[in-house]
Amino acid sequence: MLKPGKFVLAMLFAALPLALIAALVSGPVPVDLGAALSQGWHSDSSDAVILWQLRLPRALLAILVGAALGMGGAAMQGMLRNPLAEPALLGVSSGAALAAILLLYYGLAWLSGWLLPALAIFGAFCAVACVWMLAGRGASASRLVLAGVAINAFLSALMALALNYAPSMFAMQEIVFWLLGSLANRGWDQLLLAVPFILFGGVLLYCARNYLRALSLGEDSAASLGFRGRRYPLMVLLGIASAVGAAVAVAGTIGFVGLVVPHLMRPLVKQDPGRLLWSSALAGALLLLLADILVINFVGAQELRIGAVTAFIGAPFFFWLIVSARRGQQL
Amino acid sequence: MEECRAAARQIAGMSVSVKKLFLLSLLLLPLPAAAYERIASLNLCLDQILLNWVAPEKIASVTWLSANEHYRSAPLPEQVHLNRGRAEELLRLQPDLILVGQFGAQRAARRLRDLGLNVVAIPDAYSLEQLRDQLGALENTLGQLQPLQKQKQQLDKLLAAPMPPAQASALILSANNITYGDGMLEHQLLERAGFRNLAAKQGVKQLGRVSLEEVIAAQPDLLVFYGGEKDFAVAHLAARHPALKNYIDSGRTYTLPAELGFCPALVAADVLQQLTDKRKSFVEAR
Repeated sequence: MLKPGKFVLAMLFAALPLALIAALVSGPVPVDLGAALSQGWHSDSSDAVILWQLRLPRALLAILVGAALGMGGAAMQGMLRNPLAEPALLGVSSGAALAAILLLYYGLAWLSGWLLPALAIFGAFCAVACVWMLAGRGASASRLVLAGVAINAFLSALMALALNYAPSMFAMQEIVFWLLGSLANRGWDQLLLAVPFILFGGVLLYCARNYLRALSLGEDSAASLGFRGRRYPLMVLLGIASAVGAAVAVAGTIGFVGLVVPHLMRPLVKQDPGRLLWSSALAGALLLLLADILVINFVGAQELRIGAVTAFIGAPFFFWLIVSARRGQQL
Repeated sequence: MEECRAAARQIAGMSVSVKKLFLLSLLLLPLPAAAYERIASLNLCLDQILLNWVAPEKIASVTWLSANEHYRSAPLPEQVHLNRGRAEELLRLQPDLILVGQFGAQRAARRLRDLGLNVVAIPDAYSLEQLRDQLGALENTLGQLQPLQKQKQQLDKLLAAPMPPAQASALILSANNITYGDGMLEHQLLERAGFRNLAAKQGVKQLGRVSLEEVIAAQPDLLVFYGGEKDFAVAHLAARHPALKNYIDSGRTYTLPAELGFCPALVAADVLQQLTDKRKSFVEAR
């Protein structure tokens, strides 16, 4: 008999392929899924093209980006030992988005290839390092959020400025995309661009899981357990930047996934920051895929940005955090 | 006697004012185009028409938007003042003709007209019929300019030809997944060229949105993009999606020039000709 926590995790794991199937059958056009599957990858029939080249990469990208954001959120909360840490809230996503905007709108245009995620990761790394330095050492939740909000606001203003002067006529209206994210019109090219970097970030964070565990006892205890020096914090920072930066480069800033998911998962993994990483990745993937299914089915071609949907879910959760904090419970 | 003198003076005064009126009406009558030496424009499309069709030394001012390479297909003469649609700028330039569109800079146009300048409103064109009217209005104002005549004749000829039966299907996919349906100039051009516009068939009136899935499922013979923008924008992701590679590889695409969107008078006839050729090549290939 499985314990309740493990049972829920197993259910989440089982729900992911079901959600993937749901994503593959959702869309503005009815598609014969069986026929499209049997016709295979190279078929020119419209059903096969819709399935293999439009719906599948989009669904996989939702899974990948959700996993990156969930894991990034869990790692940030563990590293800063703060329940309010979240990549989008604290400006990490904005750092990545600003770098991506500068490259895409001013620089090497379409096929900038690996440079795009690499530069976005650099932007995310700078932002997350700033947050860590500003509020890292035992900062209170309010100081951290203040620092994060300041960095986020500053970077968002820079994004608006950069888009304002961009040569493209569409640039300014696309601030909506960079602030709220979207998975519309994405294909295999964007997916393949993000995969290696997100996996690399995931591996880095996984390798740092014991550091995060030790850190939950406090910095001094972590140091006494052998996690001294800058190596481990740098590893976590780079892991977060790599996963979140690559995700933002292809899908824009999608908020709240990294905040909500680790909170929901923590009781299921008995507060273990190490196991929280992969369980948050799983739940983040599921959450973003479900949010995207919602976007596809209920909004249509005039797509509501996916960040708006995650904010719908995330903002009430934020209220709940405040209410429970006022009741004197620990976050 | 005094009374007689006063009456004579009055009559003489009247004849003077009749003369003045006559001279004034002469001034107000449209001058032949060649007579205009300092032409200004308060409208982006009219800017382009001047830059393309009128001798550069006769252009006094165009709008600041025309400095942007994106809109301009002809060189910008050095002496041209770039106005921002303000009356005072144009007043200083003392143009003998100011062209203004139906919308935009209306306050400046009114002020300039009140100040006695020669302001002529040229109607905008959102359909082939309106395009003819626009070219007619331009001809009345600017006179018999050769490129204008050519464009007008070409358009008249194409419109006089009987409407061809729809022999192939087409769908427009513009930035941000926008498509053009019934009631748009782009739709008229497709129909005139012998294409069935699938967006209009699906009930799209004027502008509508079309997802990539709908584009693939509709299977148009010709996929029409809107061109002009070379810079990166997320808006163009759909048009550059790998799922459309088949269309691009097999040459079943056509890119409408950006001018069609803001100044169809310059390109509509050429676009119609090219689309007709495209349709003919499809029919022959069958």
